[in-house]
Parts: sequence; C-alpha cells; structure tokens
Amino acid sequence: MSLLSFCQWLQSTDFFTAIRGSWYVYPIVMSTHLAGIALFGGMIVVTDLRLLGITMRKRPVADVIRQLRPLKWIGLAIIATCGILMFGSKAEEYYFNTFFRTKLVILTLLGVHALVFRNRVYRRAAEFDTTGRIPGQAKLAASLSLLLWTGMVIAGRGIGYIEPPIGIHAAIPGPYRSMAPPVRYSGAPAPAADGGGSATS
Amino acid sequence: MFLAEANPLNASELIFPTLECIHIAGFAILVGTIAIVDFRLLGVGMRQQTSAELARDLGPWTLFGLVLMLFSGPLMFSSDPDMYYLNRSFQIKMALLLVAIIFNYTIHRRVALKGASPPKSKLVACVSMLLWVGVIFGGIFIAFI
Repeated sequence: MSLLSFCQWLQSTDFFTAIRGSWYVYPIVMSTHLAGIALFGGMIVVTDLRLLGITMRKRPVADVIRQLRPLKWIGLAIIATCGILMFGSKAEEYYFNTFFRTKLVILTLLGVHALVFRNRVYRRAAEFDTTGRIPGQAKLAASLSLLLWTGMVIAGRGIGYIEPPIGIHAAIPGPYRSMAPPVRYSGAPAPAADGGGSATS
Repeated sequence: MFLAEANPLNASELIFPTLECIHIAGFAILVGTIAIVDFRLLGVGMRQQTSAELARDLGPWTLFGLVLMLFSGPLMFSSDPDMYYLNRSFQIKMALLLVAIIFNYTIHRRVALKGASPPKSKLVACVSMLLWVGVIFGGIFIAFI
C-alpha cells in the first residue's frame, strides 16, 4: 500500500468522513490546535529565552526547564492530537500539500534537536545555575528551537494557502471544502460573493 | 466606502499570510506568558516561584505580545474591513478581546501580584484562560461562518 493510498483510505473511514462532513468540527479542532499553541507555545519561547539569558534571569534555569516540562508535554499532546484529526479528515489534500510536507520535515528536525540536546543541555541546566554561566551549546539549542518552532508556525499557516490538485476529491463521500481561504490580493479575480459559505451572516 | 482593492496591503499575496504568522507568534507570546501565571494560580507549573514573581518577570513579554497583536490585527482587518465588520465571529472576538485585555490588566494583575484566597485565584485563572481561548476560537471561526 502506497502512502497516497493509505491517505485515501484514512480519510474515507467513517470517523474522518464524519469530521469532514460537519461544518463546525473541523474549525473547532483547528481552534483547539491554535488554543494549545497559545497556552503552551509561550512556554517553549520562555524556556528558550531563559537559556539565552533574555528573560527570567533571576530564576534558576533548572527551575524554568524542569517545572514547565510536564505542561509542555500536555500541550504537545493536545496540539498533536488536533493536528492528526485535521490531517486525517483531509489526508489526500495534505499529502499533496508542500507546506504540510515541510512541516513534517521541521517536526522531524525538532525530534533530532531533542535527541541531540536533551542530555547535553536540558538535563544539565542545574550546572549552568551553579557555574552562573550558560554555555554556547545551550544558547545554540535555544536559538535552533526558536527557529524551528517559528518554521512550524509559518509552514502550518502556509498549508491553508495551497489549492489541492484539481479532481482529487471526486471519490470522497460527503461535502468537501478546500482548506484554501478566499484569495484577497488584487492580482487575482475577485472572490465569489458566497466564498467560504458566509450565507448565514 | 472602503475598497479592499485600494489597500496597498492587498498588492502582494505574501503580506497577509506574513501578518497571520506574526499574529500567531504574537498570541503564543501574549497568551503563553499569561497562561504561565494562570497555571501558577491553579497550583501547577512553576510552583517554586510566586505568581507575583512570574507576573513581574513576564509582564514585559505579555506587553510585547500584545503590541505584535495590535500591530498585525488591525492591518489584517484593513485588508477587507466590510467582511470583518459584518462577520458575527469577528464581532464576538472583539467583544471577548476587550473584556480579556481589561480583565488581564485589572483583576488578573491584582490577584497575581497581591495574592488572593485559593478559590478566588483559581477562579481568576480559569476566567483568564477561558477568555483568551474564546478570543482564539472567535478568530478561527471568522474564516468558517
């Protein structure tokens, strides 16, 4: 079974067909994804900025890292679950989406980042507090983390801007709505009056 | 009457998505720093520090996030004011946003800095998080209703 046919099978399951068929489930899942980023993403930023010596300088590095770790894992679980739900409901469209592929590559790099720096930096934070000096390696880890997570945001937002290949939805049961928002820039044709189904307003 | 076509923001297809990314990074900083204080008020997360210490440490970053939002948000609004103005989800979002900002700099700030009884602290933390999550839901639903 190829990856593409797996994606086609996945989105045709009853569960993901139901998600796709409801007008409100997909936006609720997306909102929860973004709410997770809001409540827990700031913890990544704060940890990285602490390692860079920019914020919370009066608090021990080890305190910041150790105390935020469990919450960050909870956040990741919420965000990833919502991400999988969004992917599954439109798996074929995501499969072709360049920004989604980019996001998966960045996610893999974040995994490599964790493998490389966990023991070298994050589990040695107490040493930094004892010596009062944050080594260059820790600052490198923090900078890369900020860079990669910024990339995740950009790639994530980019997903919604790519039109799916024409005709890939023919086999999908139930209503289907592209993730791509109405085009706004003046170089393009004017959006349709009912673009995005605003008939309720 | 406003014409979306006359707004220079709409001259390039890259400007709007760039503003959206600034908006997302901005609320991760704005809401994320408030949430660290909220979780502390709930008794989880950074318990070695007091809520007052956290609020003072993170206050400038909350403000920085708010500035990013108040920069990127109105610019996105200007790309298509008629659509946003009439959008029910946008209207609810703006109402929640106003309440959330006022709440953050009045009751939330006072409880975080001066302390309160545990039930009151927890209630304030829950209201704060619900308001900000509500703002985010309102923002996403703009594109779906």
